[in-house]
Parts: sequence; C-alpha cells; structure tokens
Amino acid sequence: MNQPETFKRSFAQATAATESIQADFIQEKTLTMLSEKINSKGKFWYRKKDFLRMEYVQPYVYLLILNGGNIFTKDGQKENKISAGSNRVFRQVNRILLDCVSGKMLENPDFQYRIFENSGSWLIELKPLEKNLQKLYKNINVIIDSKDYSAKSIEMVELSGDKTNIRFQNKELNAKIPDSVFLIP
Amino acid sequence: MQKFRIRFFLFLNAVIVISSCNQYRHMQKIQSDESCIQKFKPVFTQVMYRTSADVIGKHLSGLLVFKFMADSSTRVVFSNEMGFSLFDFGFGPGNEFMVYQILPQFDKKSVIKTLRKDFELILFRNMDYPQYFTLKDSSLLYHAFPQTQGINYYITDTNCRQLVKMQRASNKKPVMEAYEIGDIQGNSPDSIQIRHLNFSLNISLKKITQIASQ
Repeated sequence: MNQPETFKRSFAQATAATESIQADFIQEKTLTMLSEKINSKGKFWYRKKDFLRMEYVQPYVYLLILNGGNIFTKDGQKENKISAGSNRVFRQVNRILLDCVSGKMLENPDFQYRIFENSGSWLIELKPLEKNLQKLYKNINVIIDSKDYSAKSIEMVELSGDKTNIRFQNKELNAKIPDSVFLIP
Repeated sequence: MQKFRIRFFLFLNAVIVISSCNQYRHMQKIQSDESCIQKFKPVFTQVMYRTSADVIGKHLSGLLVFKFMADSSTRVVFSNEMGFSLFDFGFGPGNEFMVYQILPQFDKKSVIKTLRKDFELILFRNMDYPQYFTLKDSSLLYHAFPQTQGINYYITDTNCRQLVKMQRASNKKPVMEAYEIGDIQGNSPDSIQIRHLNFSLNISLKKITQIASQ
C-alpha cells in the first residue's frame, strides 16, 4: 500500500469511534484433506472493551462468551468456564478474534503486518512473531470494509494449510447491546 | 520348611488374586466365525460428528471428521467449533498410523497412543484373523483380536445379530468400552460413546447429517 500511515490513522479513528458491532456470521472451515468445506453460521456481538458473544446455530449449537478475562462456552447442555490464566491456546485464539474486530491487531507486538489496498476494501495480513502463535498459524488475513473500517471477514490460516474464514453480514455498528448479552451465568 | 510354606502361601495368594481379577477367565472358548464380526464394520466414507470429551475434570468439544481416502487410508480430524484444528490423524490401509498435525498441548506420547488405540477399535483395525478367537459367556460372544499389547473385543449377542459393545482390554480386564448406536452395517453409526475404565476419559460423538454445503 502506498500510504499505510494514512490508512492506519483513519482506521484508528474509526475503530475508536466503534463502541459495538452486531452481525450475522458465516464460518467456512477448509480442511486440506476434504473436498468440501464445513460451513456453520450464527450471530455475533462485540462491545468495547473486551466483550464478545458468538452463537452458532447451524449445523450445531455452540455458544462462546468473552467477558473481560473470562471465557464461557456451552456445547449442547454442557457449560464450561475458563478463568483467566488457564488454557493458554484457547485464550490466544480468542484474543486474536477480539483484536481483529476491535481493530487492535495493528498494536499487537505478537504479529507483524502488511496492508494491501483493493477497490472497496483493505487487506491486513498478520504474521505471527510470537513462538507459540507461530506453531498455530501461518497467517491471519483481515478484510476491512472501506466504508466503515469494520472487519468484513477474518481468515485464519493454519500451518497445515487448513483455514477458517469468518464472514460478517448484516452488520450494525454502535447499536445498544445490553450487558445481559455478555453475562456469564 | 517354614520359609517354603510362607513362599507357597504367598504364591497361592497371588494366583487367587490374579485369577479373580481376570474377567474373561470364566468364559468358554468356542469356534470362531469370521463372517459374524465383519458385517458390523462401520463405513466412514465421509462423516462428521459433534464431539465432546471429558478428561480428568476438563471439558472439550468440537467436530470430528472421518474420511476414507483414495489411497484406502482413513483420516480422522478434530477441530473445535470455531474451526481451530486440534489433531489430524491418518490410519493407513495396513497398520500404519500417521500424525499429520496435533496441537502442541496434546502432543504427548500417552495422549496420542490412547487416541490411536481408541480409534483403531472403532474403525475395526488390526484384526488379525489367524490370531482371532471367540469366547462365550451366558449371553454374549466375545470376538477377541490380540494386539501388540492387550486384546480388542467385539461383543455380540449369541446369534450375532447385534454388536452390543466393543472393548479394549489388558489380558485380564477391560480398560475401555465403546458403544455404537444406529444402523452400523454398511454405514456409519449415528452416535458413539467411549468410556475409559482405568482413568477419567469419556468421549461422545453424535453424527451431523450435513457435513458441508457450498
């Protein structure tokens, strides 16, 4: 990109002004060994600073809530609370997701980034520098919408070539999202 | 003489303890019928299971995909609901086993060995027919396939109409049991339950009909 500093400034201003995002999402998992893809979909909520909720509704039901440092998951009837400090890998993966939607990924010293421009969108390519992350990901590609600087999609590419792409649809920025959405029971 | 008596008494005690622990000892060895067990072999062409595991107080869930490959191997891939891959194993057409990928957290010899043996049992692998023998108790047939360590049992009713359960066992007692539910013959089971008996590990698999949509 010719003017990364200009983009970074506009991006920082826009993400600073974004208090919340709610959207539908489609997740596409590509396994290198499979000819087909595994698709799932659901609802997504984010609120500053560190609140996130993902509700998978098809083809399985799964709930993830990030609330401050705590993580809550529910698969079927089984609830699971992960407190701060435990399950490092799971926390790192969730942190990446949170950083990508909140726009903090450019500040994260665990990654180096490159920015590419296209008509209507930008691509931020993140390469892990931290050694534990290097064992998990080859790179992470975040497509940023040029209209509102929010994430259109997040693609996480693993070392094996398997990748997971989360695409956001019907996005609504700065809607009032009640505390109850992020409440860990 | 006194020493001999003590040693003999200890030996006798050991024999009694060992005999009483052997849960297969009372069974009668009968003529084996290879056709009985082969018909229960599941076919995992390409199937996805919603999977949850409870291991020593920790809970884990995700999606487990089985795929029969063009080279006659079977791949078993586990990823969490958010798409992150946890392991990717390959079971070759013979007894080959390959770890294509595993999360560093799970990359432990004991974990890989346990999962490998569990999958080998439910995939009906390592069935060496020259060594195959059958035991019978009052109501069940135990089709036994000796492994490098221990024995895999496929347990049917005496008429061989139903696969009741599968067991991985030491020479004396079961260490793991697996149950398949649903139409298995020529198909993949609707659900599979795996229960370890010597430590706390339970795995539950439930088939998701839709593996993918473009």
